[in-house]
Amino acid sequence: MHWLSKKRYKIGLTIPTILVYSVYIILPILIAVRYSFSKYSGLGKPKFVGWKNYIRLFHDPLFWSSFKNTMIMFILAFALLMVLAFLVALLLNQRLVGVDFCKALIYSPAIIAPIIVGIIWVYILDPNIGFLNGLLDRIGLSALKQKWIGGNTLTPYSIAVIYFWQQLGYLVTIFIAGLKMIPGEILEAADIDGARPAQKVMYVVIPMMKTTISNVAVLIITGVFKIFEIVLQTTGGGPNHVSDSLVTYSYSMTFSSSDYGYGMSLATITFIVSLLITGIYMAIFRDKEKKE
Amino acid sequence: MKKNLVSVIVTGALAASTVATMTAAPAFADDAVTIKFGIHVANPAEQEPVTNSIVETFNKENEGKYKVEFVASDTESHSKNMKLAATDGTLPEIFWIDASEAPEYSDAGLLLDLSDFLNQNADIKTALNGMEAAFSDDNGQYGLPYQCNVQGFFYNKELFDKAGVEYPTDDTTYDQFIDMIKKLKESGVTPLAIGSKNSGFAMWEFNEFLSRYGWAENIDKYKSGETPFNNDDLAACFDKVSGIAEAGAFPDNMATIEYFDAKQLFDNGSAAMFGTGQWDCAEFDENLGDKVGFWWGPKFEDSAYDQNIDMKVPSAPIVVSAAAADDDKKLEAVYEFLKFYYGKEAAGISYAGSIFPSTNYDGLSASDSQYAMNSMITALGNGWKTPSAAPDQTLSAAVQEQLYDSLFGVMQGTYSSADALDKMDQAKANE
Repeated sequence: MHWLSKKRYKIGLTIPTILVYSVYIILPILIAVRYSFSKYSGLGKPKFVGWKNYIRLFHDPLFWSSFKNTMIMFILAFALLMVLAFLVALLLNQRLVGVDFCKALIYSPAIIAPIIVGIIWVYILDPNIGFLNGLLDRIGLSALKQKWIGGNTLTPYSIAVIYFWQQLGYLVTIFIAGLKMIPGEILEAADIDGARPAQKVMYVVIPMMKTTISNVAVLIITGVFKIFEIVLQTTGGGPNHVSDSLVTYSYSMTFSSSDYGYGMSLATITFIVSLLITGIYMAIFRDKEKKE
Repeated sequence: MKKNLVSVIVTGALAASTVATMTAAPAFADDAVTIKFGIHVANPAEQEPVTNSIVETFNKENEGKYKVEFVASDTESHSKNMKLAATDGTLPEIFWIDASEAPEYSDAGLLLDLSDFLNQNADIKTALNGMEAAFSDDNGQYGLPYQCNVQGFFYNKELFDKAGVEYPTDDTTYDQFIDMIKKLKESGVTPLAIGSKNSGFAMWEFNEFLSRYGWAENIDKYKSGETPFNNDDLAACFDKVSGIAEAGAFPDNMATIEYFDAKQLFDNGSAAMFGTGQWDCAEFDENLGDKVGFWWGPKFEDSAYDQNIDMKVPSAPIVVSAAAADDDKKLEAVYEFLKFYYGKEAAGISYAGSIFPSTNYDGLSASDSQYAMNSMITALGNGWKTPSAAPDQTLSAAVQEQLYDSLFGVMQGTYSSADALDKMDQAKANE
């Protein structure tokens, strides 16, 4: 295998990947950025309008409302997934009866198409026909009934919970893979030193799983900024865009209003925000690693 | 050795299948000129059965000569697909397009001027009776009406009887409508089924409201910017929509249900009224039979505009790609299909499927068992005037989308009338 380590072969082997990545990832992003500086209905030639779309965007209350919704979804989904996926992974990493069945059960939502996930949750959260309000009625807690979806407030929180439900199994699997990588001798040594389970997790497991945790964090950040089908299926972004995320609002402007230029400016901002959050997280994470 | 054996078997199988395909091909050879018809539903046989029947009949009668194939996808995907096809020059020869988008296609030179077709077929021009005028501009006749839309309120007579409410008439006023809603609500049914999720377009019954507040008289001023959308007439109109919501007309979960879910509420007898058009007649015949009635909507006593208005308007157009003219055989096939589509035989198929065709031919009518369509025909018997186009179809895509959003915003209490109309002005300013 010596020949593979030569520089020219390394370059040769990475060129196809770079080409595919450039054509299917980089180029569309550049095209979207270009359109974001134009007035374009999807037909004819785009008309260059400079920063007009971006100026409009910062004065658009619906942009800020969809930005707020996206951040609510992000903070809630991030907190729930990082903590609970890790704890569930710790639990499922034990040799317990029925653990394989539980793994399959927890993973199962991850294989359901997001559009179907949305339909399932409509039947749970719909204020009129939903299971949840029906249950509250039956157990005499009608006062707690809410417009979980379709109202003016709760939809982004509900979307975050749905996303959590859908992603939990997938992220648990990644965490379990990370836990399996920790050498047994190190954990045994901690046991011999008298570490309690919580101390083992805090001072051995978490430090040794930093790369896995970092990868999971990036997956959540990028995933939340792509939530689309769940919003579309539960509320369609309504009523009146109050439950739109940045992605669904961008989609609505682009395709329903045929305002491609403005839609692309929203898409560009979404891309920059997710890039920034990922970048900030990675910078903090690396900074901590260096200090240690 | 094993690998070689597998390779030989796989290669042999591939070669055999290729030969089989090649030898089988002549059996399916068809010299018919094929034209594509881009349609806005994913399953034409189920969702547009009349158009599907017209195409099937045409294909059968022209076997070996012309053939029409659907390019089908749901409305939103269809709109996107047509724009993509327009950019890479692969538009179907004929396609349905929303009226708000068609002028853009026309301006971009993508559509064939159908004036020649109409001049060559004077009988069709006569049968269209001016309905084609909605789809002409400086570039010519860029489209022809796909169908004729008759829009308003369908109601369930049985639920009205149970609630002790009289059926609405041509003279029912807005205040009486509000009383009607309250009594229906008290009887335990949803007075007016409507869903806003991904269904902004499903506001047909409110086109009548807009018309009775002078839409047709003022639309040119709105479009030119001379009069803002936020004016006294439209504010009064939107206030009426708000009043209906306050009276409890709509389902509590209208934000999470779609047009199809709302229609289901009407079909299964949970809702007393449903706003839609003739395309749902066959479904209502099946589910409600002779219990179904049709009404144009309330009259507004505070409006200075004519209240005697029906809503029988051209639906969105079907258009022909300009590229079809590059191939004489294709153009001939397109013209032949259009001749059939706007001919008497197709009009008969339309009536049989409870769809009003855009053409008028003598001797065609609905059968006695087409209750929903007959109730519309009775309503049309008042002889009132009708606008040349439905109000929502007179706007550009962005303002049309905002009109939908604004109406549903008022219905759901998200916007005041003034906010809703300001947003329309803002959408107009952003164009």
